[in-house]
Amino acid sequence: MDMSQYRELFISESREHLNSINELIVALEKDAGDRETIDSLFRIAHSIKGMAASMEYADIAELAHKLEDLMDRVRKGALPFDGGAADLLLEGTDLLEAMIADVEQDAPASRDIRGLVQRLISYPPPSTEIPSIKTHKTEQPPPVQPVPLNASGKDEGRQAGSDASQTVRVKTDVLDQLINLTGELITNKYRIMTISSQVGSGSLDEACVELSKLLRGLHDEVMKVRLIPFAAIADRFPRLIRDLAKKSGKEIVFEVEGREIELDRGILEELSDPLIHILRNAVDHGVETTEERLAAGKSSRGRIRLAARREKEQVVITVEDDGRGMDPAKLIASAIEKGVIKQEEGWLLSHREALMLTCVPGFSTAKEVTEISGRGVGMDAVKSAIKALGGNILIDSTLGQGSRITLKLPLTISIIQALVVNCAHLKVAVPVVNIIRTLELKRGLITTEGKHKVFYMGEEAIPLVSLNRIFGLPLSHLTGEAIPVFVSEVKGRKVGLVVDRFIGQQEFFVKPLGRPLVKLKGLTGGAILGNGEVVFILDVANLM
Amino acid sequence: MDIKLMIVDDSLFMRKMLRGILEEDGYQVIAEAADGIEAVAKYQECRPDITTMDIIMPTKNGIEALTEIMALDGGAKVVMCSAIGQEALTQTAHAAGAKDFILKPFNPERVKEVIKRIAGV
Repeated sequence: MDMSQYRELFISESREHLNSINELIVALEKDAGDRETIDSLFRIAHSIKGMAASMEYADIAELAHKLEDLMDRVRKGALPFDGGAADLLLEGTDLLEAMIADVEQDAPASRDIRGLVQRLISYPPPSTEIPSIKTHKTEQPPPVQPVPLNASGKDEGRQAGSDASQTVRVKTDVLDQLINLTGELITNKYRIMTISSQVGSGSLDEACVELSKLLRGLHDEVMKVRLIPFAAIADRFPRLIRDLAKKSGKEIVFEVEGREIELDRGILEELSDPLIHILRNAVDHGVETTEERLAAGKSSRGRIRLAARREKEQVVITVEDDGRGMDPAKLIASAIEKGVIKQEEGWLLSHREALMLTCVPGFSTAKEVTEISGRGVGMDAVKSAIKALGGNILIDSTLGQGSRITLKLPLTISIIQALVVNCAHLKVAVPVVNIIRTLELKRGLITTEGKHKVFYMGEEAIPLVSLNRIFGLPLSHLTGEAIPVFVSEVKGRKVGLVVDRFIGQQEFFVKPLGRPLVKLKGLTGGAILGNGEVVFILDVANLM
Repeated sequence: MDIKLMIVDDSLFMRKMLRGILEEDGYQVIAEAADGIEAVAKYQECRPDITTMDIIMPTKNGIEALTEIMALDGGAKVVMCSAIGQEALTQTAHAAGAKDFILKPFNPERVKEVIKRIAGV
């Protein structure tokens, strides 16, 4: 029998199971006697074993079998579920994940499972006491109650069979293809509308209006298909926090809210790394050590809460901790010391602006680089990633009480609203989400401060920069009384970007730039106007 | 051949593979169920000639589902699917009315042989 036809199904189903294992183990560490969770863990290992054996992946089947045996002992009450067992199961899960990745890449089976298999068989180690997670738990979890072999108990049914009949699995590239085609249709709609305006036919105009409506409907439906619950990435985080907390010797309670909130899969995929970084910061720099917490009159366990919620056309994700918080005065002092800002600039910063200094490239207040937060990647990378998704980041913090990072994200990508502007002979589209304000600036309002031309928006001095100059285009001689400017944020600072002319706003289907254009700084993609003209989409965050 | 089957297994992979094996021999797979509760409900709905039943499943395991199906229809032909090492369970299943057993991982020839015998063709 040709088994290769089942390979993809094996990979996807095994991965789903492995994700659940991580979650279940973390849950079981909180409540070691929960029979449903114990049963689920046993069943999942059993299931992976069965699939791998059918596919004749002997090593995967063998390792899964040993994990199943360990859980069977726990299930039968022969073994308490303790920190050591949890560590072994997680180690096994990691190894299985790597082996399945090998299968996916057609790599030969080269992982050595013997050591782990042996430790699983002989657990608990005969000569030593059962190890406990001292850093993570204050006391040994109670031994598990014996469970009858056939008991299945109630289960939430994560494999939910009843739903399975009404859903189909679709390959993600098909979803990408759908959004691509929808985008092309939108581009074509503008082309037809351009022609229609030249032809001057009433019935063609009507057909265009109808076409626009239908396309709006199609766009909405296609976007819905691409939505994935936040749980798809959030469910990996309890395991991450557990491991980080263990490593840093802190006690942390982690909560996730809004697992069911849906986001575009493209956004979700890009969101994982920034969130990992923020969570790492919360464990590493936010939550204090147990001693510090007790000395500050707090409970010994730190709390980190990850929440997602929908707000109109945005998804808002927050990471809150009840740790030591950030001190704006210290942040400002450190920024001045590092030359990120000048002393007099520091005086003018508000509380919130001072907190945002953490997102300026090269800035880090950590006294030492720890293994946990790593090197090189800072909050500035997080901010650029969020900006690249068309989102925004906000930081709140109260000294001694904790911090909150808020990410505001659009629901969709690929198809965006943008303002088209002229720079010399070039047309550029600026995503509307990146524009704080557009204005026709009267020349009289422009003053010179030092070497820079600035204008005042309220109390704030906004430096003016010519977009033509950034792109190395000839400067135009703007003759009018007012010059077109849009205000945007570049690397944490508000900047007024001068252009030759505002043309108008429309929706764009953004396509990635091919080589060598992709290397151009300040551009994120291209799109086609109704008349066939190509416009570049401005990457404001990385413009300068 | 007009023999209708239902496949019960919590693993989509296993259901698709078993379906592949059985359809090769011309059987009609009219229903799939992913747990014991769904299995009992679908059995009532479609009355398959033969049901293949996994044992270890969430919500209601295969033996519980078998017992309920036998209570609904004393003539039900249910074949259990079990892994090596579950001999004790197969005895319980036999006592509850299971007609035969297929061992996992599936050997296509053995699967076809068992189903053929139960179908009486």
